[in-house]
This record gives sequence, structure tokens and C-alpha cells, in this order.
Amino acid sequence: MTSTSTPSLLPGTSRTLAASVRGLSKTYGDGDTAVHALRSVDLDLAPGRFTAVMGPSGSGKSTLMHCMAGLDRPTEGSVTIAGVDLTTLDDDRLTHFRRDHLGFVFQAFNLLPMLTARQNILLPFELTGRRMEDGTAERIEQVIDVLGLRDRLDHRPGELSGGQQQRVAIARALAADADVVFADEPTGNLDSTASAEVLAFLRRSVAEFGHTVVMVTHEMDAAAYADDVVVLADGGIREHLVAPSRARVAQALEGGAR
Amino acid sequence: MRTVLFASLRTHTRRYVAALVAVTIAVAFVVVIDALGSGARNAIAASVESAYPEADLIVGEEFGLAESDPVRVLEVAAQRGDEASVIATAWTRVDGPDGTLGDDVEVGTVATDPGLRSTNVVTGRGPIADDQALVSRETAASAGIELGDRLTVGTGQATRTVTVVGLTERSSYLSPDVHLTWPALSALDSEIVDSVAYAVREGSVAEAREALTEVVESQVQLRDDYVSARIVSMNKGVDVLGYLLLLFAAIAGFVAVLVIANTFTILFAQRTRDFALLRCVGATRRQVLRSVRVESVALALVAATTGVVGGLLASRALGVLARALAGSDSFGDIDHSPGWLGAAFVGGVVTTVVAAWLPTRAVVRVSPLAALRPAQEPSARTTAGRVRLALGLLGAAAGLAALVLAHRTETVPLMLAGGMVSFVGVLLLGPVIVPALLRLVGATAGRFSGPVRVASANAVRNPRRSAATTASLLVGVTLATAVLTGMASGRQSVEAEMNAEYPVDLALSGTSQVSPTTVAKVRGLDGVAAVLTPPGTRVETDGPTLTVVAPSDAERERTLDASVTRVGDDEIVFPASYVASFEEEGVPDRVTVRTAAGPLTLTVRTVFASWGSAAVVSPETLDRLTPAGTTRVLWVMADDGADAQDLAGTLGAVAGGADLEVTDNLEDQQWVSLQLDVLVWSVLGLLGVGVAIALVGIANTVGLSILERSREHALLRALGLTRKGLRHTLAAEGMLLALVAAVLGTALGTLYAWFGVVTVVQSAFPAAALVVPWAQLAAVLVVAALAGLASCVLPARRAARIMPAAGLTLD
Repeated sequence: MTSTSTPSLLPGTSRTLAASVRGLSKTYGDGDTAVHALRSVDLDLAPGRFTAVMGPSGSGKSTLMHCMAGLDRPTEGSVTIAGVDLTTLDDDRLTHFRRDHLGFVFQAFNLLPMLTARQNILLPFELTGRRMEDGTAERIEQVIDVLGLRDRLDHRPGELSGGQQQRVAIARALAADADVVFADEPTGNLDSTASAEVLAFLRRSVAEFGHTVVMVTHEMDAAAYADDVVVLADGGIREHLVAPSRARVAQALEGGAR
Repeated sequence: MRTVLFASLRTHTRRYVAALVAVTIAVAFVVVIDALGSGARNAIAASVESAYPEADLIVGEEFGLAESDPVRVLEVAAQRGDEASVIATAWTRVDGPDGTLGDDVEVGTVATDPGLRSTNVVTGRGPIADDQALVSRETAASAGIELGDRLTVGTGQATRTVTVVGLTERSSYLSPDVHLTWPALSALDSEIVDSVAYAVREGSVAEAREALTEVVESQVQLRDDYVSARIVSMNKGVDVLGYLLLLFAAIAGFVAVLVIANTFTILFAQRTRDFALLRCVGATRRQVLRSVRVESVALALVAATTGVVGGLLASRALGVLARALAGSDSFGDIDHSPGWLGAAFVGGVVTTVVAAWLPTRAVVRVSPLAALRPAQEPSARTTAGRVRLALGLLGAAAGLAALVLAHRTETVPLMLAGGMVSFVGVLLLGPVIVPALLRLVGATAGRFSGPVRVASANAVRNPRRSAATTASLLVGVTLATAVLTGMASGRQSVEAEMNAEYPVDLALSGTSQVSPTTVAKVRGLDGVAAVLTPPGTRVETDGPTLTVVAPSDAERERTLDASVTRVGDDEIVFPASYVASFEEEGVPDRVTVRTAAGPLTLTVRTVFASWGSAAVVSPETLDRLTPAGTTRVLWVMADDGADAQDLAGTLGAVAGGADLEVTDNLEDQQWVSLQLDVLVWSVLGLLGVGVAIALVGIANTVGLSILERSREHALLRALGLTRKGLRHTLAAEGMLLALVAAVLGTALGTLYAWFGVVTVVQSAFPAAALVVPWAQLAAVLVVAALAGLASCVLPARRAARIMPAAGLTLD
């Protein structure tokens, strides 16, 4: 049973796609020891959607995210975000692209330990070295309030709880007004309350700020916050489910265990 | 545990490279010192050996021999039918066909007997007659002398003219520029006899020795005994130099200790989890400790071995270089004394093991639980940290007190002890001082650049590590600053003294009036900045006839030290050279000079200074001596950077035509200045070895910190920091560390130099003051910062190459 949905079925396709992946392959090593982490993956993501990428360990979900986010170079294929093919950019232009168009929330090591929460949130602007555009400062203050970080801004990461650290990371991603926010197991290190909080914020950022969020996770509960779910297995996409029910996702994942 | 030991040695080899390099440099330095010493010693031995080729007996003491001995030895030789050759030297004026060779040319003897001749004649033939001379090839080349040219040797009545019949090559330690026969040299009346070589031709050596011992006052020794005694005494200088160099080796060793200790501390901190895991699976504290200690011993053995091997190779290379630069007669074959090599090896091993000892103790404190906890940022607020700070404060205070006391009592050893104790105190206080300075410098520089802000935040993250890293460079910069500032202050005092002793650069003086054309000719010479012509005259006294001059106040002001020739109306000032004119009776307290208005008695003041053959009187006195003063003396002030020898030569040519005597002060001044320069650069060069080790340490710390922080770097890259940006951030971190070490070191070094000046220099020159050589200190700062930058280039490149995704998934 392979019911892979086509992009045309997705809502909001009249607009440009947020991200488009074509024939994406990633191979580590060569010859007998070659490991095919991704095998010719095609994927289209519509803007303003919260997509969860799921799959068992070793299914290639982290590799897919790394390649899509320009953190790693694919062996073959192309990744297009905001109309730019990332695989054609050199390292500097790719870096600038990440800085200007992408946001990141990782499982851990999200923040620089020697900087305060505010400095961490403003880091992308600091790296740009340019002044903030009009309205950016207000947006950042708004994001800080929405995420409830106002009284934590002068603390260093070591003095924050795991959930607070993750909220700072989300604030950083939203502050830059990224075209696509990539979240790699953002709740992997959190207890259930903090997880729910973080996921609710990601959800809200899609609903209220109109962001596009791609989240890699292996938790069913986390995936439940997403609009769509992409299920990977053995380096390929098994299913791309639009607004699936929990049971439908579970079924797709079990298909992977088959 | 052995499996673990070998595995960790294999895994961490690359991280030990810096410690290895540090020890290697220090050990190699010690080996090279010995090798260079042996090269100098062998050259001395060879040159002493070849000075007495076929002699059987030598008459002579360590410092010359009795005046009457040469004649007596020659008489004995003549009676017995043996050969004897007097080895003597005179320093006198020599003029060639194209001008003077100088006022202090080394003129030596050459044996007429070929068997006793130590000089290699390369062109022409050895001199047989007393009116013939040999000239060294170097001198002939620089003065343009050819075979058949005539030289004038000596001054005054002892002057003689000789013909050049051969050119010589340096072969022994007795290698004068010009060689004459003994009768010709002794006629110069200024010779210093070194020894007499004696070759027995008739009868036994014992008989000859007996005959000699009877008539001479000096010792008569068998040639081989004399030569070995001579070599021993000449080697003393080399040995002293060797021990001085060991001092610098000790400094390099100390810096190496700092680098090694820091490397181990960082490595063990990075491996805390490994150690904890070992403890979890059942390794005892003792087992873990032994394992890391064996690791440090293994490193020590490898490092000491590479150091010895590196030293041997470097010695070979330097030996070749030294022979090429200095010539094989002043630098011989190098050899290595086994004792010294052994000491270098053992020293390297001990240094490494001792340096690793303290960090290994930290390993014991690791609890098995540490393996299960996430890595923690280290804190300086430990008990050990407080003890360390207290000790640091105590050391700094006690050292400072000792320095002040040393200044009061002018005790040099106390000053050195105070300097060392206070410096150790500052090193211990490093974890407080260095981060504070880093914040200050970082905040200033960070205002202009985001990456620099990140870099300074990174640099202060681990105060102890930053302090330990900067400590090694701090040693070098402090010493370099102290040396530069101390030397600048000392130099100023020496120069003030020189200016008083040599108020003019050169002087031309005659007995009759100097013609205006001569003055104009001198003014027109290259390298002449100004010519002063104080009016003077020739006066009869109750003693010798004197030239007197009366410089005006304006003229005196233009000399280097006007106070020297300040004179009252009832005074006459003699230069030091006049003491010789009153050989028999001594310089009188007063002289009476004849004037048109009758005799005038003047009080004599002799000044230890040189301005030509003239006494100085006041213009008023001169008016009473003569109605119109005329030019008797030219005081020549040279351009800055004028070549003393060239100028003396061209002036000599003018002076010779006008029957004037040249007094050359410039050459002495330039020689002293050159010696000071050589001293400063030698010390800086030797300190450079320590600084090189310190830079290896900085590169290492930054490199190891980069390994720890690869996740953070990946995050920064993910968030949009370019490769170049990351490289800049890391380079800025290294540069900040180096800059802080340089700033602190410059401040400390200047302070120490001040104590040095008030304690040491002021006891010799009471007027001495601290002179801060701003330009040189700025150069030290820039060099340190650039070196810090350079040392981070490689680790930063490596860190920037990695893809962000790879950094994020690293464990």
C-alpha cells in the first residue's frame, strides 16, 4: 500500500512552494562500505504549513533535513527554497542564504553557552553585521512576549531550563522571520509539559505569523501538532500525508516496521 | 589497563603534538648550545695548535712575558744554533698607497724560520728582510693593496716603510692584518710580546730547556703542555658563554613546562567522561592515575628523543652556517659531549613528567558519576582556586617588597629574587587578571565587530585556561620588554658618558695655522655634518709648547657635551691625551704662559675627554695671549650614520697633505653602539626560542578548545556565519589572548626594567633614568599579536572546513 500524495493535492498550491526537493540522494562512503542515507527523494512543501518528518532511526530523516536546510551537501539532486536551488550555491552564498531565509531549532546545543538569552536571540543579526530593518525590533519584542521570555533575557543558557532554552531557540528562529524554520527533534530532551509548550509555540508561529515549519521527530505526540506528516523509510519517502488522523500516521509508521 | 593505555595513546597522539613540540624545542636548544660551544672550542684548539707548528719549547706566561726575555731567548738560540721566533703584536697606524688602513691596525710578527712560521702565505713569499711585510688577504682586498705596494707603519719617530711581498690566510688565533719580522715590529716601540716559540736544532730538548730556564724570568714549557694550558684558558670564555646560554635554555624550559601543564590540563578535562566511564566499569583510582602517568612518561621519552635528534640535526645545519659566516678558523668541527646529551635528554623527560604531574592529580578527583552527567563548565571558585589566588597575592606583594628593598639597598641578588617571586605571583593571579584584561580589550575591539564579541566571550569562558595559555607568552614578552627598556636606559647613560668623553666626532690638530682651503676641503667631505674652527694660538709655557684654542659659547654648544670644555678665565683645560706629554714630572697644577703683557699663570684642569691636541682656554684668556686667534684645530661633527672608517680614511688623506693629526672618536663611539646592539639582538634572539614555544602553546590551546566547541561552531555556521567569519572569530580569539599577554608583559617588563635601572644602572651612572623605547615596545606588541594570529591560522582553517551538519551530529 503506497498512497504517496502528489503536491497538486496540497492546499495553497496556487502560491510558490516553500521548499522543493528533486532526486535527492546522499551516500556516505563508497564501494562496499557505501551507506545510502537518502535514495532519490522527491518532496514538495507548501508555505504556511507545519510539516512533521517521521520515520524509524536510520530512515534518513535527519539527513533529509540537513540537506534541505543547506547544512550538508547532497550527493545528487536539488533543493529549492524560496526559488533558489541550494545545490548551486557556494559555501559563502549558502551560508548567507541560511542566515537570511532559514531558522533552526535543534534537539540540544541550540544556544551559545557564553551568550545571554537576548544575545542568542539577536545572534543572526549580529552575524549579519547590518542594522535591523524597520519593524524587526518590534517583531522581536512581540516574539519574546509571546514565548514568555521577557524576564529571562539576561540569563545564560546554563541558568535556563530545557524548555526555556528551546523557547529561546524558537525565538531566535522567528526573530529572523525565516522563510522556513527547521526543527530537529526539538522536544527530544524535554519532559511532556515543556514539550507541549514548545510544540504549541511552533504551531502558533505557523498559525499567527504564517511561518513554514519542518520538524523532524519520532514522537507521535509531537507529530500530532503538525498539519502534514512525511513518513520516511530506508532513505525514501513512504508517504506524504495531508492533515492525517493519528491512526493514519500510526498505520503509515507501522508500514515501515513491516 | 594496558589496552586502554595504548588505545588512548593512539587516539590522542595528535593532541599531544604541541607538548611534544615544546619539549623538543627546549631539548634541542640545549643540545645546540653544546654543539656550538664545541665548534668554538675546536676552532680555538686548532688555531692554538697551528700557532706553534714545529716548536719544541715555548717561553711565555698566560699574560705576556717579561720585557727582557725575548732578547735573551734569541741569544740562547743563536749560541746553541737553534731557532726561535718571537710572537708579538702591536696596534698602530698603518698607511697604504690609497690612504690609511686605520689608527689601530693589528701588526704581528712572522717567523723567518719556515718551520716555526704559523702563517700560510697564499700569494708571494714570506718576508725575509726587515723592510718587507705580509698582509692578510682580507685586509689587502678591503684596502686595495697589491704585492709590491709600500706601507707606512707606526707613528712619530718609530714610523717605518715596508714593501708588501706576500698575502696571508688566517690559520691560527694569531692572525694580524699586517706581518713584520720581529726586529721590524720591536722597532715600533709599542709591541706586546705574547710568547717565544723555540725549535731545538742542536742537542736535546731538555738541554735547551735548561739553558733557557737559567736566563729567562718567564716559564719555559714543553710545546704540548703550553698549548693545552693555553686552550684551557681560552676556552673559559666559551664555557662562560655556554652557561649564560643555558640560562636562556632554562627560560625556554620554564615556558615549555607551562605549555605542557596546560596541554595536559585541557586534555584531561576533555577526557573526564572517559575516566569516569573507566571508573564506572571498575577501574580503581590508582589504575586510572597510573595509566595517565605512564602516558605522560611515554610522551616525555618520545619528546626528549626527538629533541635530542632534532638538536643533533640543527647543530649540523648551524655548524655549516656558522662556518660559512664566520670562517672555519673561528668555528671548527662540532662534536657532542655524551654527558651533555644525556643531561638534555634526562632534563627533557623530567621537565615533561613534572609538568604533567599536577594535571594528572585532577584525574583522581573524577567520580564515576561524572560519566553520566552532561559536561559542565568549569568554575574557578574552587578551594584550590582560592588557595592559588591567596598565594598569588602573597607572591606579588612579597616580590614587590623585595624589589623596593633591593632598590633602597642596591642589592642585585635581592632584586632578581624579588622579580622572580613577584612574577610567579602574577602568573598565579592570572585567572583573575587575564579575563579582566580580555574583557577590557574585547569590549573595546568588539564594539566594531560581532565576531570579535563572540571571540572575547569565548576567550573568558575558562579563566584558568586563558591564564595558562597567556602565561607562556607572558614570560617571553615580559623578559623582552625588560631587556629592551633596560638596555635603552643603560644605553642612554652610556651615551651621555660617551658624549662627555668624546665631545667631538673627529678632530684635526696641527702645530701651525690651518689654511682656509683645508677647512673648506674638510667641510666638503662626504659624511661631514659640521666643522667647528675655534680660534687658537701656539704658546710657550714653562714646560712644553702648547696649542691652545678658545671655543666660543656658541661653538661649545654645538659639540656633543658642552660642559666638558667649559672653562674659567683663570683656567686651562687639558684633554686626557696631554697626560702623556708630561710623562716625567706629571701634569702640573698650574702652568705659566708667556704673553705680550708678561707671564700669566693658569690653573690646570685635566678632563677625561678627547678633542685633539689642544688645550682649551676662555676667549678672554686667548685675547690676552694673542691679538688675533687663528685656526689650529678642526672639530668635525659627522652625519648620523656616517661610516667611521670611511670618514677617518678620507680625513686622514686631507690631514696628511696639510700636516695635521687626526683624532678619531667616532669609531670608538660606533663600536660601543654596535656592541650594545649586538647584545640586545642576541638576548632577543635567544628569548625568541621561549616565545616560539609559547606560540606553539597558544596554537595548541586554541586548537584543543576548537575541538571541544565543534557543536557551537556548527551552530554558528547553521545560523549564518560564513567559513571566513568563523576563521576570523577563532583568529580574533588567538589574537586577543596574545595581545593581552603582550600588554600585561609590556607593563610588567617596564616595571622590572625600572627597578633594574634604579638598582643596577644608577649605581654606575647616578644620573640614569628610565628610558621607554616606545617604538620597540610597540613592535613587541604588534609581533605578539601577529604571532598569536598566525598560531591560530591552522586550527581555525580546520574548524571552518567541517560542514555544519557534521558538526551537529558529532559526539
